[in-house]
Amino acid sequence: MTVSVAGLTKRFRDHTALDGVSLDVRPGEFLALLGPSGSGKTTLLRIIGGLDFPDAGSVTFAGEDVAGRPARERQVGFVFQNYALFRHLRVADNIAFGLTVRPRGLRPTPAAIRARVDELLALVQLPGLGRRYPAQLSGGQRQRVALARALAVDPTVLLLDEPFGALDAKVRGDLRRWLRGVHETMGLTSIFVTHDQDEALDLADRVAVMNAGRIEQVDTPDAVYNRPATAFVADFIGNACRFDCRLRGGEVELAGIRLPNAAPPCGDGPGVAFVRPHEFDLAAEGRPGLAATVRRVAHTAARASVECVTSDGRVIDVSAPLDIVVRGGEAVTLVPTTVRAYPA
Amino acid sequence: MSTREPRWVRWTLIAVALAFLGLNLALPLAAVFAGALAKGLTVYRAAVVEPDAVAAMRLTLTVAAIAVPLNIAFGLAAAWAVTKFDFPGKALLISLIDLPLSVSPVVSGLIYVLLFGLQGWAGQWLRAHDVRIIFAVPGIVLATVFVTFPFVARELIPLMTEQGRSDEEAARSLGASGWTTFTRVTLPNVRWALLYGVLLCNARAMGEFGAVSVVSGHIRGLTNTLPLHIEILYNEYNYVAAFAVASLLAGLALVTLVAKSLLEWRYGDQLTGSGH
Repeated sequence: MTVSVAGLTKRFRDHTALDGVSLDVRPGEFLALLGPSGSGKTTLLRIIGGLDFPDAGSVTFAGEDVAGRPARERQVGFVFQNYALFRHLRVADNIAFGLTVRPRGLRPTPAAIRARVDELLALVQLPGLGRRYPAQLSGGQRQRVALARALAVDPTVLLLDEPFGALDAKVRGDLRRWLRGVHETMGLTSIFVTHDQDEALDLADRVAVMNAGRIEQVDTPDAVYNRPATAFVADFIGNACRFDCRLRGGEVELAGIRLPNAAPPCGDGPGVAFVRPHEFDLAAEGRPGLAATVRRVAHTAARASVECVTSDGRVIDVSAPLDIVVRGGEAVTLVPTTVRAYPA
Repeated sequence: MSTREPRWVRWTLIAVALAFLGLNLALPLAAVFAGALAKGLTVYRAAVVEPDAVAAMRLTLTVAAIAVPLNIAFGLAAAWAVTKFDFPGKALLISLIDLPLSVSPVVSGLIYVLLFGLQGWAGQWLRAHDVRIIFAVPGIVLATVFVTFPFVARELIPLMTEQGRSDEEAARSLGASGWTTFTRVTLPNVRWALLYGVLLCNARAMGEFGAVSVVSGHIRGLTNTLPLHIEILYNEYNYVAAFAVASLLAGLALVTLVAKSLLEWRYGDQLTGSGH
């Protein structure tokens, strides 16, 4: 089901959370809202879900305006950051909650409810845990119960607010894969909020990068990573190093060398350039580029990490192939191989 | 560096605390029961079943039976409004809730006399419709409701603030109506704090003296609550009877104390906002 927002504006007492945001989510898509704290991504999610209302703008589900409808009537499944499981109910009763609060006429029989709960427990890989209380579950298990509870009411849209924020790294990785699997099984339009770019790039079909209440770019993870549309996206994604530069005729002048601009074409003038850690070459001392001294070399990951200090005291972590031959204390030149620059 | 005090300091402090408690709590309580039984069980029983005493007991129980449920409703509504919603004037409402605790009980009673007494604002209107509030049971109920209002709300507000709105939002997103959300999500989350607040409210409702004394009119057998009846007996130099009836209130205090302690011990983490 298509979810569209147009011109959404939301102001809180002292700041603007959303500033004219428009977005179209395709049916069955898994979309990530990615951005730093305060970018408005959770506010946007809550407005889509009906938990908050905008000051201006519209929200439509499959072409139908739902702005007037409260959360209760929008048939959305919402998974909260802290799970919000009902602590006094068992897991099975938590999952069944949405079905048991339906008005008499629409409520399934107790047998049907039980069957659905068992079906969902199997889907979230927690069979047999129905009689436990939330306090007796681990964080990862609680998260899966929260998802099962949201899915029980057959929502048309699934909204997740930082679903893995409170979990440790190993559990997070497992749950990420599992969530992707569930999404592929169910084919629900899903929107999730995260500040973790690895998660967004890993899971989503498309990523909407947000900053200060505006959407900077909505694209596939590949496009957002390799073809960032704005300086903010280039800075936020991929751990880039930022340099001042000059833009001239489609080329970037930086540290005494000229490179083609890998970012969208723009006019001449002063600019900001972004180079990612693996987009530097390590050349001998004295070559054109950034003069630097190697401080540390670490071979503890798939690529070597070479920590360098430039002549003006800036620390740059360069990602180099494992067979690189440099030692601490050696003077080198950092030569950018790819640069993306935007007008300053 | 150790932060534990030397032994003698700890024991001295404990001794001081025990002495204070002993002097100001245990001794007076013991004196009440001793005084009540000073002339033996028969006299004790006679004082307790005396018609005016029974009427006073009945009035106290009636007033509590009306005031406590009313304050449960008010307290829940106020706590719900304050913690689940944002609205202008919220800070003012919170201050108003605490008002009865900072106002002298005598003033609390006087408020109603000024409002509903013969010379009061609504006095003439009430007289014309033959409605008696002051110097009658309704006045006592009103004064008691006012004085005991904060207890339930004050127990609930910190806990509900800490619990936040996510549970309620989750329930709403799953399709629950406002009332269903309240009864099936909010109430169970606060049930022990609510019970605690009810205990405090009840203890105060039954024991209130100042405010009730101003509005009651002290009509024997009609508008005397238990505390007022005790005062009358005492003023008549009928000490044993006074202590005998007072022992009933003291007994209530002990029961309340035990119930409170049980709740704190068993559900302590769910009473103040730290349990999850």
